[in-house]
Amino acid sequence: MVLSALLLCPLVGMLAILAMPKSAIRAIRMTALGASGIALLISLSLLKQFQPQLVGAQFEERLSWIPQLGIFYHLGIDGISLPMVLLTTLLGFLACIASFSITERHKEYFALYLLLEVGMLGTFLALDLFLFYIFWEVVLVPMYFLIGIWGGGRREYSAFKFFIYTLAGSLVMLLAILALYLRTHTFDMLRLAEMGPTFDAPFQRLLFVAFFLGFAIKVPVFPFHTWLPDAHVDAPTPISVILAGVLLKMGGYGFFRIAYPIVPAGAAWFGWTMALLGTINIVYGAWVAMAQTDFKRLVAYSSVSHMGFVLLGLSSFTPEGMNGAMLQMFNHGTITGGMFLLVGVLYDRAHTRQLDAFGGLGVRVPRYAGLLIFFSLASLGLPGLSGFVSEFLSLVGTFGVWRWQTIVSVTGIVVSAAYMLMVLQRVLLGPLNEKWRALTDMNARELCSIIPLVGIVLALGIYPLFMLRLQDASVQNLVQHVLGH
Amino acid sequence: MSEIVWDSLKAWWPELIVSVGALLVVLLGVWTKRTQPAIGATWFTLFGGGAALWFAPAPTSTSLFFGLIVADPLSLVFRWLALGTTALVVLMVMSSDEQTNTLRGEYLGLLLFITVGLMLMAEASHLLMAYVAMELVSLSAYILVGLLPDKRSAEAALKYLLFGAFSSGLMLYGMSLLFGLTGSLGFRDILQASGNLSRGATGLLAVAVTLMLAGLAFKISMVPFHMWTPDAYEGAPIPVTALLSVGPKAAGLALVLRITEALAPAWSTVGPLLGGLTVITMTLGNLVALSQTNVKRLFAYSTIGQVGYLLIGLSVHTPKGVEALLLYLVAYLFMNLGAFACIVAVVNDTHNETLEAFRGLSKRSPVLALLCTLFLLSLAGIPPLLGFFGKFLLFGSAIESGHLWLAVAGIINSAIALYYYVNLIRLMYLIAPDRVQPLRPTGALRLAIGLCGAATLLLGLFPGALLARLGASVVVNLL
Repeated sequence: MVLSALLLCPLVGMLAILAMPKSAIRAIRMTALGASGIALLISLSLLKQFQPQLVGAQFEERLSWIPQLGIFYHLGIDGISLPMVLLTTLLGFLACIASFSITERHKEYFALYLLLEVGMLGTFLALDLFLFYIFWEVVLVPMYFLIGIWGGGRREYSAFKFFIYTLAGSLVMLLAILALYLRTHTFDMLRLAEMGPTFDAPFQRLLFVAFFLGFAIKVPVFPFHTWLPDAHVDAPTPISVILAGVLLKMGGYGFFRIAYPIVPAGAAWFGWTMALLGTINIVYGAWVAMAQTDFKRLVAYSSVSHMGFVLLGLSSFTPEGMNGAMLQMFNHGTITGGMFLLVGVLYDRAHTRQLDAFGGLGVRVPRYAGLLIFFSLASLGLPGLSGFVSEFLSLVGTFGVWRWQTIVSVTGIVVSAAYMLMVLQRVLLGPLNEKWRALTDMNARELCSIIPLVGIVLALGIYPLFMLRLQDASVQNLVQHVLGH
Repeated sequence: MSEIVWDSLKAWWPELIVSVGALLVVLLGVWTKRTQPAIGATWFTLFGGGAALWFAPAPTSTSLFFGLIVADPLSLVFRWLALGTTALVVLMVMSSDEQTNTLRGEYLGLLLFITVGLMLMAEASHLLMAYVAMELVSLSAYILVGLLPDKRSAEAALKYLLFGAFSSGLMLYGMSLLFGLTGSLGFRDILQASGNLSRGATGLLAVAVTLMLAGLAFKISMVPFHMWTPDAYEGAPIPVTALLSVGPKAAGLALVLRITEALAPAWSTVGPLLGGLTVITMTLGNLVALSQTNVKRLFAYSTIGQVGYLLIGLSVHTPKGVEALLLYLVAYLFMNLGAFACIVAVVNDTHNETLEAFRGLSKRSPVLALLCTLFLLSLAGIPPLLGFFGKFLLFGSAIESGHLWLAVAGIINSAIALYYYVNLIRLMYLIAPDRVQPLRPTGALRLAIGLCGAATLLLGLFPGALLARLGASVVVNLL
């Protein structure tokens, strides 16, 4: 029941908001905060009761939904989905605090926001492929509106591109789901994972490619990444946080939960290509980020680069690499979430994101400067902060398997350092640009939305076992499953 | 002889009630100057027909009226679809303020005649009955399309008539060839006889089937007999367009289903032809819709695209395909008529039939915009709505029977169609409106939109019961 309660929280919140008059802005904000806050508390209680050493789904719920097709309302959580659920509720709560900066159409915004949270949580909790697909698609509609109505720049174009691009990938995934169902007559992910090694190799390869297309667009994998810069840049700040922090992880999660367990031979066959694509993501993303003049666009491309480590780790089929990939998903969510929040803080005050328009802000806004330095260092992978651990694990895991891809990827880290330090130099250092003499530092609300992330990034950097111990058993089990094919 | 007639009539109450009611409504329209009596009589008729259908004895596959019609579980589904379509369309007629006021009685009476025709089309098991039913629908429709007092409407009606006459002619020729080959016009006899044909005759059988498909293709707007659709839909009053987009498509598909069953030996020629036309229909409808600016024309091409998806269920030639077809028809009824009800509301207020009329609808009427979005997303196939579930079953049946290419064509077209459906949503939500007074649809429209919206969402979330009922209706022997 806990998992259904987790799903119901934002849903009930959304219905409550829809019933309120649109002038009751305070009530709407408090309801949304309450709903996402309670969801966070429930997920923390899940964390407490979770037994990391057990492999297999915990807190399972299974109800018959459409008996004629064998579709069940099947929820469950294990070491792979728990970090994702925690990330979703955490960022959901923090971005909700950040959403107080929205100035118009509050009722629709928060209703859509909570619907988005339901969709994301459902994707990570579902253990039935049909249910998974429904939640996967449910995420698209509120995201379209959230970017298209409250965004900036070319918001209509970006929202539309995001919607169609992601839907096209999902439709290919739908065919894969159908093909799988027609072969096995079940949608249950756990049973399909058991049956996985028994499918014939050509079928597995075809299905993996179909699933790959669906997930690759979300991750995003080069060359399916072109929707990301537009969507991230033109979305409002809190939505950029959710987009980068959680939505991209849905793609990676899909590989861990669906593609790898159900078609392991297909996954193994694709390994070299996956490593290559990961390398391209890392290096290409880094170089293009370096060329950006818009702060938000730079962070968007850095997202592409960081997700490359997830792909690299996935391609390794070693416990180190895949643990690294899992951890990188969580870390990237917290770090890039923080970065986008900081970009938003600056944009709210300066109404520009051009890096060259700033300069010397380090003296004017010390709190902001400190946090920006912290998150930039985390992003470039400074040892001691969480980003380093996951990138290192991915590289170590893959080095033994795909040597030259790993070697080339390391150059990407150097470029990462370059562009992050460049950002710090252009925004914080040098002579103060007189335009910003009156800039105010971060207020209490903005600090509230970002300090928790600081704590987590630092804690996981020093003691990554906090997270690794949750996921290790499930990841080891997955590795054995894939290799044992 | 008279026992057969009496027994048949007992199973035929719904059609009888609706026919008599239609005549009554036309007369009321002539005798009284006000429209209320005609509307009242129409509702009385529809409820009467619905009650008769509800309390009808369990349908069997025995044929009625000397083998002219067969009231089996499959036809029961289509009779409900016909009544439901007309009921929702009458709600739209009550609200629409297009200049057809002077002709209310005839308007509603013709709608009821079309209902009878649709029910007969779905029940027909005799070629002549099929033809008569189709013509009943067509002739009433020609008049309804031309009901508005402007040139565009008259031109639309004329185009529809000429095209329809041509297709009917082709169909009659095919029927006559079939009669010559098999010596009978009843579907069961044709099935028996066509199994025993000599080699040379099978070629002629294929020709006959193809010609008959021409007439049926006209009714269901299948390529290449779709060309009347955009003009007729644009010129007709909006409720008529709504009826034409759902009613004849459903009944026409039922008829195609039975005829292809009756001519099963010719499937090796007809099957690939139907499959190819399915893909072309889908693609043409969706591609041309991309450039439309008139909302009625847009929905005409959208209908053509949707018919393509429906034809997948037919082309696969399996019971699962028929089940998927039935479910998608139910979904299509609710989502398409819901969308048209929203169009009636918008056009009533803005007197503008272009897409621009939808600008900023979310600010003027949030609930209307929300429900319209629901219908558009369902048409596009977004979960958890009923339209998605229907497409899921259709693509599943295609993959299961080995027609992977039909499923692939389906998903590519779904992605293309998303563009013009989301375009409307974009206009409603992302663009500022021209005027800001709230838009309040009439009570009848609210009922129609509310019913359709509830059905699309709730049946989409919990389709199990519906699926079970429809699955039970798909009998192995469709004749």
